[in-house]
Amino acid sequence: MKKTLWFLTLALGLGAAQAADVGTLLRDADRYRAGTEQQIDTQVEVLNADGSVEKERRYTVLSQPGHRSLVLMQSPAEKGQKVLMLGDDFWLLMPGSQRPMRITPTQKLLGDASTGDFATLSWAEDYEGELLGEERCGEAACLHLSLKARRKSVSYQRIELWIGKQRHEPLRAELYVQSEKLAKQASFVLDKAQSMVLEMALQDALSNKKLTHVRYLARKPRQVPEGWFNPMFLARSPNLE
Amino acid sequence: MKTAIPSSLLALALLAGSAHAELTGQLRGQWQERSAATLGPLAAANSLQAGTAPQAGSGALLDAELRASAGPLTAALSLQHSRLSGPPRSSAALQELYLSGEALGWQFSAGRKLVAWDVGYAFRPNDVVAQEERRTLLSNMPRGRPLLQAEYFSAETAWSLVWVNPAPRQDAHFGDEQALALRVYQRRGALDLHGFARLGAHTHESLGAAAAWVASDSVELHASWHYARRNEGWRSRNDTAALLPASPWQIEALGRRQQALLGASWTGENRLSLMAEAWWDGNALSAAQWRDWASRNTGLRAIASQLPAPLQVAAAGNLGWQAQAFGNSSLRRRNVFVRLAWDHEAWQPALDLLYTPEDGGRIVTASLAWTGNRWRIDAGLRSWGGPAASVIAQLPQRRLAYLASSWSF
Repeated sequence: MKKTLWFLTLALGLGAAQAADVGTLLRDADRYRAGTEQQIDTQVEVLNADGSVEKERRYTVLSQPGHRSLVLMQSPAEKGQKVLMLGDDFWLLMPGSQRPMRITPTQKLLGDASTGDFATLSWAEDYEGELLGEERCGEAACLHLSLKARRKSVSYQRIELWIGKQRHEPLRAELYVQSEKLAKQASFVLDKAQSMVLEMALQDALSNKKLTHVRYLARKPRQVPEGWFNPMFLARSPNLE
Repeated sequence: MKTAIPSSLLALALLAGSAHAELTGQLRGQWQERSAATLGPLAAANSLQAGTAPQAGSGALLDAELRASAGPLTAALSLQHSRLSGPPRSSAALQELYLSGEALGWQFSAGRKLVAWDVGYAFRPNDVVAQEERRTLLSNMPRGRPLLQAEYFSAETAWSLVWVNPAPRQDAHFGDEQALALRVYQRRGALDLHGFARLGAHTHESLGAAAAWVASDSVELHASWHYARRNEGWRSRNDTAALLPASPWQIEALGRRQQALLGASWTGENRLSLMAEAWWDGNALSAAQWRDWASRNTGLRAIASQLPAPLQVAAAGNLGWQAQAFGNSSLRRRNVFVRLAWDHEAWQPALDLLYTPEDGGRIVTASLAWTGNRWRIDAGLRSWGGPAASVIAQLPQRRLAYLASSWSF
């Protein structure tokens, strides 16, 4: 009996230690892309299968703790459009309108804002997972993590993530939608100092085989007033500095 | 209006030229092909006396929408030049010009500004400050109203108090009067709740409530209700079939009126979306009032057939006045709207229907849009129809086809 209790305690302790390790690894990996309390400018370029540019969009994302993001569309075709994400609740303001509208999780997932949101979401906050082990990523050793979404409304319900063994920088990922289909394969390009992700490439694996490049144009720490994340504030213009 | 063009442009140029200014806009060219209805009082008036009620014809329109902001100041200007079956016309309008600021945790705005609050798509009785256009073929910059606004936002609640048209206006109708309006918003998870109150100089008190609820991953439900103790609408003071020296149609103060809307939208993973709305508009003419209207139309046509040609102009004018019945917030009290749309990469085909169950009238619109990085192409066809006795079938237009190309900067 004593042996069984000792074994259970050890197993639970190991499990907790591994969970803590995964949390640390994800926080480390998050630091290469974005963090909470940030203002991030991204450029999204979608290429057709033949390499031609289908569309180019720019977003400013204000990201705050507690799964709160405000995506401001900056491209000429969408200027004035805003998407507010508060956990699993979403609102959209169309250009020229003063009426923030409730949208469903499906509408949010299908919209272009999801790409901007994915570029800034926190893996540590939005996913839990396990360390599957050490693998080879090209020449280097890497760690393979299998992540499961904590919330149903994040764009990808499962992420297989490979990060560097030493510095825990993101290297590549496989993104799965709710139906367990592989939706996109992601790869990450770091800047010269190897301190931040400069670009993320998302290869569509489902139907259209399109390639999406997400470039991080600017990042800066930014705390914004609580009222900015009130859905009715969408009708006002936040000061982006 | 012509003198407004240089001053409006000057205001915008001054704004755009200042440091940290931001200028955005859209240039659009479009072609419209219209066909007039052969039914209804205007068609009858024009057949008796050509040109009694001139209607917008086919032709080209060029328009520009410019928006500039610098610091606390925002301005929005629209310019239009049209050649629609007549002499060319140009117009300019400063749609918005306001200052915004923050003090003591409150947000303030002062100037001409658009403020719209309701949750519906095809009908919005609680847009009690100003109305954005509904069921538009192409997006248009709406015109704001002079106002002073104070707003407070916490994480879950928002208060908005608006003094609209602070300068008293005696001849103001349909909400363009001096008024105080209040909106309270409360977020409760997947549910948005809105409460509205308005005190108008002519229309006195009105109350409203609205809600939007995300019921599942794909379904959203919304509802809106508005009650006015005194409202305004077009009503006829004389339904007899006699020729009158002046229009019997006047804007009158109506008694207690209610308006209510129920709506739902569904979006599938295949990017197909369906929206359905049904509403009751107590401001619209009743079935009995429309019967009287139709009876007077028939009587006027009968009188005209017995008059010598030179006197038929009087009958034509009387028939033309009958079109003022179309000026209320809805044509019929019961209305249904359905819209089916598909978002397929850069293409957005859509089909929508406005149906009036009381008389079977319908407006059907088919549209196709393509959106690029800066360019957008829109094309579509709207058709007004239904049984000959339905109100919609007697509107001045029968069909409208359009093709537009927009460039954004």
